[in-house]
Amino acid sequence: MIQAQSFELKDLPIKIIWAVVFLSTIGLIVLKSISQHHIGGVFQNPFSKQLLFLGPSVIGAITILFIPRYTIHKYAYALYAISIIFVILPFFGNPHAGTYRWLNIGLPFAIQPSEFAKIFTAIALARYLSDHNLEMKNFSSIIIPIILVLIPTSIVMNQPDLGTAIVILAPILPMLYWSGARPFYLFLLLAPLFSMLMAFHNMAFTVWAIVLGGTIFVARPKTIISFGLFFGNIFIGLLSPFLWNSLTNYQQNRILTFINPEKDPLGAAYQIIQSKTAIGSGGLFGKGWGDGTQTHLKFLPVQESDFILSVIGEELGFITIFVVLIVFGYFIVQVMKQSYLSKDRFSSLALIGFATIFLSHVFVNTAMTVGLIPVKGLPFPFISAGGSFLIACYLMFGLILKLSVNYSD
Amino acid sequence: MLKAENIVSFRQYLIAIGITWFLIIVLLVRFFQIQIIGHDRYRKKANTNRIRKITTTAPRGLILDRNGQILVDNLPTYVLTAIPGELSQKGEKFGLISKTIGLDSTIVSRNYKKYYRGRFISTRLAKDLTFHQISKLEENKLNLEGIYYQQFPERYFPSVVRASHILGYVKEVDKSIRATIKDKSEYELGDMIGWNGLEKKYESYLKGKRGVYFYEVDALGREVGYVEDLPPKKPEPGRNIITTLDINIQKTLENLMEGSRGVILVGIPETGEILGAVSAPDFKPDLFTGLMLEQDWQSILKHPDKPLINRFNQGLYPPGSIVKMITAITLLKNQEFDPEVEQICEGSYQFGDRVFGCWSTQGHGGMNLTSAMLNSCDVYFYKSTHYFDLDILSNSFRKFGFGQPSQIDISGESSGLVPTVSFMNKRYGRYGWSKGALLNISIGQGELLVTPIQVFNYVNLLATRGIAQTPHFVRVDQLPENIHPNFESNIWDRIVSDMRAVIVDEHGTGKSAQPNTPGFKVFGKTGTAENSHGESHAWFLGWAEYYDKKYSIVVLVENGGSGGTIAAPIAHQVFSNIINYNDMAAR
Repeated sequence: MIQAQSFELKDLPIKIIWAVVFLSTIGLIVLKSISQHHIGGVFQNPFSKQLLFLGPSVIGAITILFIPRYTIHKYAYALYAISIIFVILPFFGNPHAGTYRWLNIGLPFAIQPSEFAKIFTAIALARYLSDHNLEMKNFSSIIIPIILVLIPTSIVMNQPDLGTAIVILAPILPMLYWSGARPFYLFLLLAPLFSMLMAFHNMAFTVWAIVLGGTIFVARPKTIISFGLFFGNIFIGLLSPFLWNSLTNYQQNRILTFINPEKDPLGAAYQIIQSKTAIGSGGLFGKGWGDGTQTHLKFLPVQESDFILSVIGEELGFITIFVVLIVFGYFIVQVMKQSYLSKDRFSSLALIGFATIFLSHVFVNTAMTVGLIPVKGLPFPFISAGGSFLIACYLMFGLILKLSVNYSD
Repeated sequence: MLKAENIVSFRQYLIAIGITWFLIIVLLVRFFQIQIIGHDRYRKKANTNRIRKITTTAPRGLILDRNGQILVDNLPTYVLTAIPGELSQKGEKFGLISKTIGLDSTIVSRNYKKYYRGRFISTRLAKDLTFHQISKLEENKLNLEGIYYQQFPERYFPSVVRASHILGYVKEVDKSIRATIKDKSEYELGDMIGWNGLEKKYESYLKGKRGVYFYEVDALGREVGYVEDLPPKKPEPGRNIITTLDINIQKTLENLMEGSRGVILVGIPETGEILGAVSAPDFKPDLFTGLMLEQDWQSILKHPDKPLINRFNQGLYPPGSIVKMITAITLLKNQEFDPEVEQICEGSYQFGDRVFGCWSTQGHGGMNLTSAMLNSCDVYFYKSTHYFDLDILSNSFRKFGFGQPSQIDISGESSGLVPTVSFMNKRYGRYGWSKGALLNISIGQGELLVTPIQVFNYVNLLATRGIAQTPHFVRVDQLPENIHPNFESNIWDRIVSDMRAVIVDEHGTGKSAQPNTPGFKVFGKTGTAENSHGESHAWFLGWAEYYDKKYSIVVLVENGGSGGTIAAPIAHQVFSNIINYNDMAAR
């Protein structure tokens, strides 16, 4: 079973590599534009900072290629546990910009442990779901994976970092689906969330109750369970207005601003409005590289990371946005294809997990940029500047390459 | 370990990539919507986003006296502003500012709230800062990010005269004032607007035009340069206005009225120009500039003599005997009236069931028109006018401008009151008043109320035999048309000679108005107006002829007592001063 590692370059999924190279290049081009008038040290300049972090990122990705697949499988839980500890560590330090996201270990930059936690959570999940050749038709068998994912999610949510929490949570659904869980169970997983959201509107809550009841009826579980599920959800729904009041103003504001962004044009929605203005004023071909007024006059907030897509939209136009999103879609679909083609279950699950992480990053970041969802503070993979984030992206990239290579070991 | 086989079906794979492409397409559609369909709208928005309009205040025009001496000037002061969007740790910064320049920090934060209009619009924190204070702030510049200053021209009064009721004052445009302005683009919050006196009346001359600069700014509001397509427009200072005032005369009047309540108006009868005008008590004109202390404001507001009231065009007074020329003219117009026929004054006159007293209780004896004028005998007028219809008399009053605004170029003018038959009927009922009211009005008492500026116009009309122009402080191209009473010249002659007699006759009530200067001829009439506020108001009106010049004068001392003993000597002093001043100028 244990054989010498052998891999050849031709075995690597070349399409995935090209996509990442393309996206990283676009990222550098845009960051170069942003950095034109930057003064200050290397770490204040997004372009040079990105270049600096690309080195260890690529090295990390290549290193992973030499790690045996079973080693990854073997240490999945340990890595998961370590990453959880690191995610908790910042809570013992001083808050950084009001959050506990960052871990300062005396480097000129801080580390964001949650970026790595999402990788190891996905791997741990993949191991659990592949090891336990479970009968996924059973609802109770999906409880442990859910607990596995909820631990880091709830910690990160408390940092507070809603965006990353969503990204950590997201892979659970496709991975359970991949493991053969009934779609009905996935529906039941999401049901409490809907129950909470709908509770704020009487009519919507009534409609939701009917949909919920109908679905439970069609799926035909045992009568007692049906009642439990139905009334449990209704109870959660009724409870949620009280939960709402326990949220911090910061959290409430973000949600409320989403509902009516024009309400507070200088508060949270300021970012969305500026982002849309930058993108919209770019038009089909953009204003040209380095000529984005919204970008260079700093109307656009956090332009080097969260709103980097707005810079692309403004300077390089819809054309480039189109290409970037299509390439990213292509990249994700290629990863899914590798997952489908994968021989072993662990690799397949890890790959769909990573695909989901990337997809949720892209979707949440882009949707936020164009005002479809509230501001989340999530960067765009491979393009946004970032230390921990860039390294995490490349680690996942390395893992994807590693797990894609089909050989027996 | 890794023996578990992949069990993913092709169908599951298809669903996964289906969801992926669906999400990507949703995003692309949204981008298409914003970037292609909404392009025009967002392009416009992007332009307004980065261009900031900065306006600079234009200095107001100066106000000068007739000889070009500056009455109202501008002083460069500094205004401290903040860009709210750039301001962090507001409280600390406000504290530092107030400590550095010695200003209450509550004023700073109150101003911040008052002027706040937006995150990237500069908001005033304090004004009237001196260069010294600004340089102290400059030393702390590093700790005061988001705090700026601008030069701001402030009204300044370099002259020795106050002329407060004439010059008026400017007021800062606040939200409630701005709401009343028709053309909102003309004024911004914090701008100055003429609020009273000449500052208000000639606002359109004095105001000037704001300068406008279009800066390209970054999101922090930092100016990064001019916008090429929108060249800056420099502020245009307001136009200067030259008043008819003479600083020397004005100064004399102000000195004379120091400590009393009342009015002096001095002018040139033919042209209606006002050389000096004082409404006492007055106030320092710079009271309304700068940071007026609450206690100063309260002491002005609560002052029992009401210094804010402009007595010469708002004050309503019974005129007393100074209107007897009108009664006399009304008499003279009647062909059957013989001014030489004497009426006996025994100190009082019984009319109907009422007794009307003369001011001299022992009586004047036999009086004709001239002696009645120079003695200011009331009984003569009672006896001569009792057959009049009230409206005949009130018509004569109106012919001299009473009961209507004089159209002086300071707003807020009162019309006064000239009672007519219909007015009396309305007020007292048809049978509620008797003809006795007429007797009172004929000697300037009763319901009759006048403003000093109306009296000034009246004396100008007498001095010029009806051709005087509307009284004014600023010579403009088109003065409002004055009334021009027209009588036969013998009537004018009689009145003028009687008014001369008031001054020169040994019994003349106004003889103390005549300065002892050969060739300086004074004409006048005194008045001692009874009123419900205590002691009588002392009046003197008249004019002086000196070489080819004429000077008209109105003196009113509230509750001063007798016109002859209180008001006439004041006129004397004014005239003496004019003589000295003319002599000096001649030399």
